[in-house]
Amino acid sequence: MRLDRLVTSWARRSPERAAVDGLDETLTYAELETLANRFARAFLAAGARPGDRVGLHLPRAGRGIAAMLGALRAGLVYVPLDPGSPPARMRLVAEDCHLRHVVISPTLLARWIAAGVCAPVEHFFLSGEGDVDVPGPARAHPWADVLAQSAAPVEPPGDSPDDLAYVLYTSGSTGVPKGVMLSHRNATAFVDWAADLIALGEEDRVASVAPFHFDLSVFDVWASLSRGATIVIVDEATVISGARMLDRVHDKGIRVLYSVPSALVLMLETGGLAERGAPSLRSVFFAGEVFPMKHLRSVMAAIPQARFHNLFGPTETNVCLAHSLPGIPRAEASAIPIGGPSCGDLATVLDPEGRPVLDGEVGELFIEGPTVMLGYWDAGRRTPARHPYPTGDLVSRRPDGEFIYHGRRDHMVKIHGFRVELGEVEAALNAHPRVQEAIVVALEQQLVAVVVPADADLSVLDLKQHCAGRLPKYMVPGRVQLVAGLPRTSNGKADRVRTREALLAGDSSVLEAARRGP
Amino acid sequence: MDPEERSPVEEHVRSVVRQFIVDSWLSGDARGFDDRTDLLESGILDSFATLSLIGFLEETFKVQLDPADVNPSTFATVDTIARLVLQKTST
Repeated sequence: MRLDRLVTSWARRSPERAAVDGLDETLTYAELETLANRFARAFLAAGARPGDRVGLHLPRAGRGIAAMLGALRAGLVYVPLDPGSPPARMRLVAEDCHLRHVVISPTLLARWIAAGVCAPVEHFFLSGEGDVDVPGPARAHPWADVLAQSAAPVEPPGDSPDDLAYVLYTSGSTGVPKGVMLSHRNATAFVDWAADLIALGEEDRVASVAPFHFDLSVFDVWASLSRGATIVIVDEATVISGARMLDRVHDKGIRVLYSVPSALVLMLETGGLAERGAPSLRSVFFAGEVFPMKHLRSVMAAIPQARFHNLFGPTETNVCLAHSLPGIPRAEASAIPIGGPSCGDLATVLDPEGRPVLDGEVGELFIEGPTVMLGYWDAGRRTPARHPYPTGDLVSRRPDGEFIYHGRRDHMVKIHGFRVELGEVEAALNAHPRVQEAIVVALEQQLVAVVVPADADLSVLDLKQHCAGRLPKYMVPGRVQLVAGLPRTSNGKADRVRTREALLAGDSSVLEAARRGP
Repeated sequence: MDPEERSPVEEHVRSVVRQFIVDSWLSGDARGFDDRTDLLESGILDSFATLSLIGFLEETFKVQLDPADVNPSTFATVDTIARLVLQKTST
C-alpha cells in the first residue's frame, strides 16, 4: 500500500469532516484532496519527474500536509525542512539530495535570498500570499498559481510500496546533516500498527505537536489521515508554554497526543495539569527520550482515563519497540521498559562480536523488519541500510520479552527529544578560526560547549553567533565555557568523560578558565 | 535613540535585563554584547531560554506578559525588551 492511497477514500466517505484543524485555516477531507491534487499538478507542470525530491519549508499547517500528499500523488519524495534551521544548513540539505523544487513560505524564502543560498533550487512554490523576487535562474511560483491548477487527480505513478516516500534529515556525526530515506512500506508498517493499537477512528482529534522533520509527526499526519481522524495543529509557541498547551488540549478536545516527555512535563510543571486534568485525552504516546519516573507518575495520575504507550526507535527504524503501560508504575520502579518488538519487526541483542547475548545482559539492539529504512542520503549519495540495522542503542532483554534501555554506544544525545550528534556541534565550533579545540557534552537537556580559544579575543557571543548561522536552534550550545585546556585521555585525546564530570562537579582545577582579552 | 533621553528607570531596566542575559546564556562574558545585539539571530534565545526570560521579567518587574506580548519583535534585543517592560509597568 502507498501512503497517499490511504487518504483518498475519506474524501469520498466524509468530505466535510475536518482533516486538518489549523491555526488560521481548516481543511476538510475534500479540500485537502483538492489542494493535494493542485500541488501534484503544479510540481509536474514545473518539470518534476518521478522520484524527484520536493523540499517543504513552511510553518506546520494544512498547506504543508497538502503539499506532502501532493508530492506523493505525483510520485515524488518529500523532504520536510526545519523552519528553525538557518539557511546555510538548508543549502547543505538542498545540495545533498538535489532539491530542485521547494514549497516555502514567503518569509522563509526572503531569508534564503538574504543568505544567498537559493542556487541549487529551480522552482520555489510560495505557500502564501505575497510576491518575492528570486535571483535567477530560480523561479518563484505565486500561491495563486498552485490554486489555479486543476483539482482533478493526476495519473497515479507506479505503485511499488518500496519506493522512497520521504527523507528526514538528522544530525550527522561528521558535521553535516544526513538524510534517512523511508519508503511507503516503512511508513505504513508503523502507521497501521499504531492506528490499530489504539483503534484510531473518525471521532479522534489528534494533536500535531512534533515538527514535520521529526519522525514523531509521521503518526500525527499519516495515522490520522488513514483513519479519517482530524489533525489539530499545535504550534511551537504553544507547546513550549505548558499552560497554553493544556488550554489547547481542552479547547480543541484533543483525544490522542504523541510527544516527547518534555512537552507533557511542561503541562505538569507550568500548565496546572495536576489540578486541571485533561479529560478529552484517551491515548498518550511518548518517545524520544527517557521519561523521568516521578514526572511520568504525576502525568499519568493527572490523566487517569488515558492509556499511555512508550514508543521506541531511531528515525532509521521508526518505532521498533513499544510498551503499553498497564498502570501507573510503582514509585520504587527505576525505569519502565522500552517494550517488545512492534510493527512486524524482529529485535535481537548482540555483543561487539555479533553474538547474541543472554537475557539480562547488555548489548546493542539490532532491528530487522518492515520499518527499517531504505538507507541514508548522505554526501550526495544513497547508501543502503545495513541489515539487520544496528541502532547504536544499548539494551537488555527481560525474560518476559520486554527490553530495557541502557544508553548509547556512541556520542548521540537527545535534547528535548531532538537527536544531536555531539560531533556535528564540535565540527561547527572547530570551523571557527579562533577555536583551537572544542568538546561538547550534554548536561540535563542542555548542550555545553567547552572551548579552548586560539587567541584571547574569542568571546562567547562570537561562538553563539557562529553556531546559530550553521546549526538548527536546538543544536546551538546553551552554555559555552572558555577554558585554558581540556583534560586528556592516556593516549592524548581530549577526554569527553572527564570534561563532563568536571562540569557536573564545577571543578575549576580540571577546567581552568581561559585568559580573556578586553 | 539618544542615550541622554533615557530615564534612570529605563537605564535600570536595561542593565538588569542585560546582566541576566549575560549571566544566563553568555557565561558572564559580555564582550561584543550590547543592547542592540539580536538575541534570536545570535543564538542566545531559543524557545526554552525565552520561557525562562519571561519568568524572570514577570518576577523581577512585577509585570504580566501575555502571549501576544512575546514575539520576535518585542524579544529582539535588550532595547526592545526594556521598552516592553516599561510599557507594561506604566499601564
